[in-house]
Amino acid sequence: MNSKKLFASALLSFLLSQTLAAQEHDHHSHAGSGATHQDHLTHSDHADHHNDEGDAGADTSNSTHPVMTHTDAISDALAEGGEPIVADVLGVVCDFCALAMNKIFGQREEIAAVYVDLDTKALNLVLIPGATLSDETIAELAVQAGYRVAAVRRGEQALGSAT
Amino acid sequence: MRAFLAGLLLLPLLFSAHTPARPVSYTGGWTFIEESDRQMSSALVHYTPAPSWSIGLRTEVNRESEYAVASIHPTFLAKRWFDRDYQGNLYIHGGIGRASGIRGNTLGEETAMYGGIMADWETRSLFAGYRSRYLDAGHFGDQFMHAARLGFAPYEGDSGDLHTWLMLEIDHRPEDEDAVTATPLVRLFKGPLLLEMGYNLTVNQPLLNFTYRF
Repeated sequence: MNSKKLFASALLSFLLSQTLAAQEHDHHSHAGSGATHQDHLTHSDHADHHNDEGDAGADTSNSTHPVMTHTDAISDALAEGGEPIVADVLGVVCDFCALAMNKIFGQREEIAAVYVDLDTKALNLVLIPGATLSDETIAELAVQAGYRVAAVRRGEQALGSAT
Repeated sequence: MRAFLAGLLLLPLLFSAHTPARPVSYTGGWTFIEESDRQMSSALVHYTPAPSWSIGLRTEVNRESEYAVASIHPTFLAKRWFDRDYQGNLYIHGGIGRASGIRGNTLGEETAMYGGIMADWETRSLFAGYRSRYLDAGHFGDQFMHAARLGFAPYEGDSGDLHTWLMLEIDHRPEDEDAVTATPLVRLFKGPLLLEMGYNLTVNQPLLNFTYRF
């Protein structure tokens, strides 16, 4: 086996071992994309209780938090009485990112409407009336989409009408 | 619909390794990627079981050396960097399969394997990417290539809008007569569709890449 074949074999072996390791990691911790589960939950906990600190330097002070973007579907779902949720998401810079979030969140039965606003880098959700969706679940779903939630706001805070 | 899908599958045979957008999708997502460059045409269908890796089936046709490679193609997302305004990714990709002669090539079949890295960094208006690959197709030959891209978006589209990027790709294939070539291209994004159209100015070959995310 020449050196090039050896190189290719080693690289392929590394790739397969990393893939299998990633599968094991994902299975056990549901984390991926280079973000650790602990980082993620810690961050979500902050967002849930304190709403003050974003990961990777994200600015999450109340004065700069994006508020809910009103599409037709969002407005209709709000009119039905669903709970509004706005989550700041890190790394959402393209339409494929938005598509991933829409696919993952759109298949949840608790969610009546979903919209990813690339301008505000925010995931806008409206739940069906009476449904609940924890911050931890939202953070986990974002990981499944390949991204990370920096903060979650609900109700009046999400709508920007909190005093 | 069948004609449309057949057309998609035949596209790589008309044209031909570039930096695919998001070679690992969301959990449960399927992606079809066609790529063409000055030497090869390829088609890849991959499934993403978890956000850190994907697995697919890939076929590529080397138009110059007249052989094809059918392979299993895993991609591992080694690292993703996040911030509010950017995303960076480092991928390791590879594959193993069978190479076979085409168009009268009587060299038979041979085991083929390849591997390399991909990296990209992207904001809503700036893009930089790099990809390398080493392919060993046995008696059909081996090849190393790497390519870098820079791009910018003249405007920032929102979800569902048509996104437009203007890019320049420089690729280097040390063993080729034209080792370094330049390809300006346009990338168009809309929803699950991505289309790239360009032209290699050095060797006068078109570039056509297409991605559909299910």
